[in-house]
Amino acid sequence: MNLFLQAQPSFWNAPSYSGELWIKLLLGLAVGVGLIFALMAAPVQVRRPIVAAVTFISGLFYVLFYFWPNPVQRQDGQLPRDFVENVGFQLEDAVQVVVPITNILTALLLGLGIYSLFRIHFRKVSKMQRDWGFSLVLLGSMFAMIIFGYWDWITTHGPNEVLMESRSNWGFANYGRDLLFNGILQQMDAAMFSLIAFFILSAAYRAFRVRSVEATIMLLTALIMMLSLMGAVTYFVDTKMLGDPRPDSMLFNFTLTEVAKWIKDTFQTSSLRGIDFGVGIGALAMGLRLWLSLERQGAGA
Amino acid sequence: MAQVEKQPTLGDRLQSLPKWMLYLILIVVMSIPLVFMKGCKVPGKPEESTVDLFYKLMTLPEGSTVLLSSDWTNSTAGESAGQFDSLMRILMRKNIKVCIFTSADPQAPQVARDELMVLNEERKKEGDKPYEQWNDYLILGYFPNAEGTLNAIRSNVRKAFDGKKKLPPGETVPRDVFLSPVLQNIKRVEDFQMVLVITASKTSNITIERLSDKLSADGKLGMMVTGVMGPETQVYYASGQLVGLSKGLKGVFELEQMMAKGLNNPDFATAEIRSEKYKDTPIQGFPGKQNEGKGTKYYPTLHFALGLLILAVIIGNIGMAMSRRQGVEK
Amino acid sequence: MNFDLLKLICGALGTIGLYTVLYRENKFYRFFEHVFLGLAVGYTCVALWTETLYDTWWTKMVGTPADGTEPGTPGYWVWIILLPIGLMGYFVFSKKHNWMSRIPIGIILGLWSGQQIQVWWNRYGPQINGSMKPILPTATDSFTKPVTAALTPDQVAQVNAQVYPSQAISNLIFIFTLLSVLSYFLFSIDAKNKVVRFMSTSGRWLLMVGFGAIFGSTVMMRFSLLIDRLNFIWVEFLQKGILGQ
Repeated sequence: MNLFLQAQPSFWNAPSYSGELWIKLLLGLAVGVGLIFALMAAPVQVRRPIVAAVTFISGLFYVLFYFWPNPVQRQDGQLPRDFVENVGFQLEDAVQVVVPITNILTALLLGLGIYSLFRIHFRKVSKMQRDWGFSLVLLGSMFAMIIFGYWDWITTHGPNEVLMESRSNWGFANYGRDLLFNGILQQMDAAMFSLIAFFILSAAYRAFRVRSVEATIMLLTALIMMLSLMGAVTYFVDTKMLGDPRPDSMLFNFTLTEVAKWIKDTFQTSSLRGIDFGVGIGALAMGLRLWLSLERQGAGA
Repeated sequence: MAQVEKQPTLGDRLQSLPKWMLYLILIVVMSIPLVFMKGCKVPGKPEESTVDLFYKLMTLPEGSTVLLSSDWTNSTAGESAGQFDSLMRILMRKNIKVCIFTSADPQAPQVARDELMVLNEERKKEGDKPYEQWNDYLILGYFPNAEGTLNAIRSNVRKAFDGKKKLPPGETVPRDVFLSPVLQNIKRVEDFQMVLVITASKTSNITIERLSDKLSADGKLGMMVTGVMGPETQVYYASGQLVGLSKGLKGVFELEQMMAKGLNNPDFATAEIRSEKYKDTPIQGFPGKQNEGKGTKYYPTLHFALGLLILAVIIGNIGMAMSRRQGVEK
Repeated sequence: MNFDLLKLICGALGTIGLYTVLYRENKFYRFFEHVFLGLAVGYTCVALWTETLYDTWWTKMVGTPADGTEPGTPGYWVWIILLPIGLMGYFVFSKKHNWMSRIPIGIILGLWSGQQIQVWWNRYGPQINGSMKPILPTATDSFTKPVTAALTPDQVAQVNAQVYPSQAISNLIFIFTLLSVLSYFLFSIDAKNKVVRFMSTSGRWLLMVGFGAIFGSTVMMRFSLLIDRLNFIWVEFLQKGILGQ
């Protein structure tokens, strides 16, 4: 893994923006494309093992990383004393490579969703299918954001970064990006998520009924918790109704604040912890099944 | 055979208010306090988890550095923006350097950038020096793979943020972020005085899974989460994995209150906001500064909204009871 | 018209446009829904490069040239290999070669699953530890924990080291709730054993207490988001923007 880290000139690197680097990049790209063509020609029976092997090797890195003895208080430039320490050093150094790989691949795979959406709406517009006008609006706003987003980045990135923090230095691109991002996207983002408040009120009004023991327990607890979230109500109950009892009096335990705290500490935390333990055991089992390609939904299945 | 249309009873009517009417009532009920009751103050006793977070933030050494995972966008601005504002106000006033990154949403870095510009304008008005990128804070961008990134931070911060460059003020070439005053003394995650997460997503769990064994024992991990995530994050606070926790709008309101009035200030016996746990160490807060933000502004309206919901549920249940009684009588 | 007012008008139009769905699905709503989606996807395109790939991939791959006192860094060409590997994901649209899309997904899934054992312990270890609460009182001089406000730090430590009867009862309820909820989830089969059935029924009831508490917090969050929007419409847009108050 050190091939990604060494600063001295080697086969694996070349001076920035040099002809040598571009040739190496082209060769590397050719190797990658060759790999794609080689995999396209892979027989059906080896496909599953290839994916399973890739998944297993990827997972093995973190398994080794956690279970192999970790270097403690390693100094810069320190050399390993034995094989175990050497592997420990290599694993620690490899994190610097593995983590960007996961971030880069995740970013490239996020592009897949964008491409999929573009594909669907582009097809709708090009074939003038039903509601193609809305698809045109989507594509139009998407490209407007892309154009202004990159244009803004080009003007604010680099030597002008600090300058552009002040609006007095902004140009058309920066105003355009600000209008699209802060003026429209962010406001609509907030509006879209706030719609749920209406639905939750409607749902609570229609469904929150005292029909069974379970529903009654839930309703009563929810009522106490909601009242405890209202500072004016807790003030009225605790101070005006109960006379602000001293903390060492028995009545203090029956103030709304204390009752809500007791419910949270005693019931809410323990029941959620119970659910969480169940979910955790499931996630652990799922992790092992995915790593070993035993899971039907997994990559190697 | 002719069917006799059954007339809806009062019970039925109480149970079947049309949706549009409920929505309209909600808008009206929420708009009244927002428009006509500005400056309305409501009392509130801070929760223990918010007090712990406030105390920890207020006792951070001046000039130290904290790592902030800012994983929110405007979709949860009603809560998260208030959390970000109150947190940054505390950190800025205590001259604490902040390294910001995100692994939840591509929009999050820009949202943090824009919010910091607003806070800087506020600082200028108050006569304080604006917070500068490079010298006082860094926004390192979006890391799509939260699991891997937090693992790298756990292992070695320098390797996690390797290759990141920012422009120092007065220079023309971006330089490695580890040369900046914010990160120059940071190698391991334990070197941060505190790691904070403002989140509306699962990054809270991912952070706990990867960093809590390195930070929790020293009380260096704190979170500010949305109301929905409050109960599930409370579990980590209860087990000591978090030093403090602010939950939702009420958490923001509580923080803003303590910023204005202090904690056990001037002493435990006479303080407006008291905590037995910290009775010997009064915290003054920031009197005379802009402490009230979205928490103080929105909290009275929350009362009206919750009150309406409780009323709606009660009306629905009364309607059900009336219908049942009429059914039994028939 | 100044720029800030233009921003406010656009934001208010977008917000009201989306809210029209509360009446019923309509073309106005669908227009703004598509604008929203387009802008969100467009910004993701921008941010993936500007916030992630540029620094994490491109700069590493092509290096940085020397400039002034900055020595510059060489480019590591091997990073280019990630482009074809990432692009394999796009074979998901190919009928013949869609299996190749599982290779980059397999790398991500493998790296995730390899972390699970360690992260499980980090997340749940302290919680298991925190659930081992004492259920027998060690002090009986007071039913509830005494107030420590007037005590010295040593006396406070002494009080904190004791388990008072009220704490013991709460701890017992805590442990019973935890075990019964676990029992409800783990023994989801139709159990014949009376103890298991009792625990499962109790678990269901106690879960409802937890869910009731969660409902309160959820409602607070949802209403907070709406309050923020209404504040934007009435105060930011109408009062400050249009009326200039």
